[in-house]
Amino acid sequence: MATYARPVERLITELSKLPSIGPRSAQRIAFHVIRGKKEDAIGLAEALKEVKEKIKPCRRCFNLTEADECEICRDARRDRSVICVVEDPYDIGPIERTNEYRGLYHVLGGALSPLDGIEPEDLRIAELIERVRNEGTGELVIATNPNTTGEATALFIAQEVKDLPVRVTALASGLPVGGDLEYADEVTLGRAFAGRREL
Amino acid sequence: MSAYLRALRLVNFRNYVDATALLAPGLNIVVGENAQGKTNLLEAIAFNVTGSSPRTPKENEVVRWGADFTRTEARVALDGSTDERSVAIGYAPGQKKRITVDGASATSLTEYAAGGAGARVVTFFPDDIRVVKGAPSDRREFLDALLSSLRPAYARAALEYAKAVAQRNQLLRRIRDGFSSGRTLATWDRKVVDLGKTVLAGREAALPVLEEHFKDSLRTLYGPEKAAIRYGYSATLEEYSEALREAHSADVERGTTSVGPHRDDFEVLLGGVNLTTFGSQGQQRLATLALKFAARDYVREAVGEDPILLFDDVMSELDERRREYLAGYFLESTQAVISTTNLEYFDDEVLRRTRIIRISGGSILETATDGVRK
Repeated sequence: MATYARPVERLITELSKLPSIGPRSAQRIAFHVIRGKKEDAIGLAEALKEVKEKIKPCRRCFNLTEADECEICRDARRDRSVICVVEDPYDIGPIERTNEYRGLYHVLGGALSPLDGIEPEDLRIAELIERVRNEGTGELVIATNPNTTGEATALFIAQEVKDLPVRVTALASGLPVGGDLEYADEVTLGRAFAGRREL
Repeated sequence: MSAYLRALRLVNFRNYVDATALLAPGLNIVVGENAQGKTNLLEAIAFNVTGSSPRTPKENEVVRWGADFTRTEARVALDGSTDERSVAIGYAPGQKKRITVDGASATSLTEYAAGGAGARVVTFFPDDIRVVKGAPSDRREFLDALLSSLRPAYARAALEYAKAVAQRNQLLRRIRDGFSSGRTLATWDRKVVDLGKTVLAGREAALPVLEEHFKDSLRTLYGPEKAAIRYGYSATLEEYSEALREAHSADVERGTTSVGPHRDDFEVLLGGVNLTTFGSQGQQRLATLALKFAARDYVREAVGEDPILLFDDVMSELDERRREYLAGYFLESTQAVISTTNLEYFDDEVLRRTRIIRISGGSILETATDGVRK
């Protein structure tokens, strides 16, 4: 037996399919929408519809875009000899905000994980190798996540391109800037030690 | 002087609703009838100091029946000065533990477990005899827990290693069942070996030191026969990569990784005899105790501080000579909390220097400092 009218139940069900939203949060959001202004609700519905209709992967790097190619790939000022390899489109934002990187990107769409049934064919690794061949890429900066699956993916890519004339690098992992050593967690500090550099 | 616990408060922990134990440096004896909560009090101390239960991996068991959360709070006296740290753990099953040190949230459980509370513990529960008597996994667990409590980098490597092996095992099964071409097998081998080498190197460095302490302890507890610990490799550091590669087809067939530190073991030997297979119950029990004492010495050497000893019902199966020795050992330690049903095990001289905590039905009845027998 449903507790609420059918449209309300439907909204709660749909909301609870979203990540990190349980039945309770779904109910809270649903009632927030019901109490709120009609324009806001319709705005949200249209935004959802628009994003599904208009957004697609960039045909070159698989970043999200409205056009065939994303803004970064179209930007003539970017350094086309470097490709930064990330797992997901949302990894690009943080790197862009550093204003340190001026090269291109390549979005893999995840990381190798036999436990989740993810094989190289499920990622855009073949497409990456194709790009390295065609675009004469000089350097791949692999920026997968610093966990087991991300690191395995990095190793695999390095292995796959080892016969091509491309340099493969990975992001360093280490200490946050502006912090005190005393407050660094010991695992990060341990890694920073392992990757220490000459001064 | 090393750190010790001044007080522990338990809320909804096992059979305790809300109780506070006041602890002293040196020997503390928790006394009470069976099934009143002595073991639970020792478990709560370890839970508070390390962030997890030494008795069970199913931690929802520590929450009192009918309650939806548990909370423990401890006051830790640091290096014998008046400096004090307050550490608390709140835990509701299914949720992340809330660990605070002086009111500030701890960054991670791994880091907290490696000394975040300002103190460390070495525990002995009667069931720990499985470290000597039981399966290889019991011995690996003992070694990994000890090293993880001292080195967060080891703890992380061991954790990540287990994940990498799980990934590799799944890949092996996918290859066997035709779901994967196995193009990534060499990559997972490399990942497994990278992490496995850290684990193996950590164990290799620790074992000779641990063995020396073990020999000393067992000599005192048992007798002059020659004791030894011998690590049993599925592959040594040098052979590791090669051995893993050679195991490819057999591993695919079985769907599991047959080589690496997760398959290793160590033998506990007395007079050249393997105690796991041939030891008597008494020998196994004394060897377990000797391993725990060795762990204490190892921690002391590694961090320069004594760990707190939490020994559950350790006296009941020992003869008088050994009980006397142990009582002296605990009296001399920075802090030991031990449990017993019977104060007759201790002579008056020991009891005079001991804090006695009486327990009944999940309540702490009284804390006596004079140690008068009642």
